[in-house]
Amino acid sequence: MRSEDRKLLRELNAGTAAIVLLSVVARAQEPIYGYQVARLIGAGSEEAPMMKQGALYPVLRSLERTGLLSSTVEPSVTGPPRRYYRVTDEGRAALERWIMIWSESKSFVDSILKGSYDEQSG
Amino acid sequence: MSRAVEQYLAQLRASLAGADTALIQDALSDAEEHLTAALEQALAKEPGIAQDAVLESFIETYGAPGEVAAAYKEMETMTTIPFAAAPPSPNIEVRRRHGFFGVLGDIHTYGALLYMLFSLVTGIVYFTWAVTGLSLSAGLMILVIGIPLMTAFLLSVRGIAFVEGKLVEAVLGERMPRRSVFFKKDLGWWGAVKALFTDRTTWTAMLYLILQLPLGIIYFTVMITLIAVSLALIAEPVLHYVFDVPFVQTNHHYYYLPGWTMPFLVIGGILLLIVTLHAARGIGRLHGRYAKKLLVKGE
Repeated sequence: MRSEDRKLLRELNAGTAAIVLLSVVARAQEPIYGYQVARLIGAGSEEAPMMKQGALYPVLRSLERTGLLSSTVEPSVTGPPRRYYRVTDEGRAALERWIMIWSESKSFVDSILKGSYDEQSG
Repeated sequence: MSRAVEQYLAQLRASLAGADTALIQDALSDAEEHLTAALEQALAKEPGIAQDAVLESFIETYGAPGEVAAAYKEMETMTTIPFAAAPPSPNIEVRRRHGFFGVLGDIHTYGALLYMLFSLVTGIVYFTWAVTGLSLSAGLMILVIGIPLMTAFLLSVRGIAFVEGKLVEAVLGERMPRRSVFFKKDLGWWGAVKALFTDRTTWTAMLYLILQLPLGIIYFTVMITLIAVSLALIAEPVLHYVFDVPFVQTNHHYYYLPGWTMPFLVIGGILLLIVTLHAARGIGRLHGRYAKKLLVKGE
């Protein structure tokens, strides 16, 4: 990947990671830990090369710090304790707003890329 | 712990050098949790997989240690307030904190004041618990029951240290790690018990609990005295003219101050109160740093 491509990906990712992770945690029926989140969104795989698994955790922590997620640490049988995340009421409200913002900005970018901007403005 | 995980964590720790202790701990515990799970998956798929191949796949999927370290540092600069719902504008925050009267608008001043007044209570509880637990379990060491008792006691010390760390973070604003430092190594329960006994933090945390009593007494006494004196000075005109309370009273003698001293007393009281708040904030900061040294595992 070229360096300017990587820069664009990183910048896009900075905004979208929070909404993606918030929605994954919100959709999970039960509290979910980092490794499960990474598996669910296929981070680090061929399909999602923009998202390294290691980059998910600081985003989860910052979502927790802003009160959108809450977490508990549970011991695990095989390894170190796991941090389980669940969405807060505030997080659900934020997700609803974010989805609106996302669909607006997505349709804006799409409309520009498809050239409908030219048609509208004449 | 697997060699690949250990190597990765060592590289990550090297990349994080110079960052906040609590941030380092967050990043390392996240990586350890994740990579242990990933390793388990890899071993289930391919039991004889080489450690070097595992390490390579970690870097491929989890990200190079340098990248991961950068992600944490970036996140830290974006959200620096540990418990506020939304970080307030930094400019206002900075302006408010500075200057002689700026101390009045700083939330940490009141947090520190509250902490110092409550530290007498927590100090008594911590001290009693630490000394009772230590002497009881040390005394019973000659019997078999001493060892499980000591283990349970040390565990409780770590638990209290974790809660105290949270309290210091919330009230004094010193960032502490978000997870307790219980057994990080994959050693089985006997190894975990040994780690509990040999971990430096267990003993420094116990020291903290014991020292909290003398510190609590000093904090409480100094703060109560300073606050009482400043409030008394500020209230002196009211006491003098309305309630006819003398400035100093011995058995049969009443001493009143002349009227012209009243404005000076009030101004002096206000100044002393603000100096007290400065002292509270300063000591709170120092205490936060000291608590971090003793309660958080150093890297």
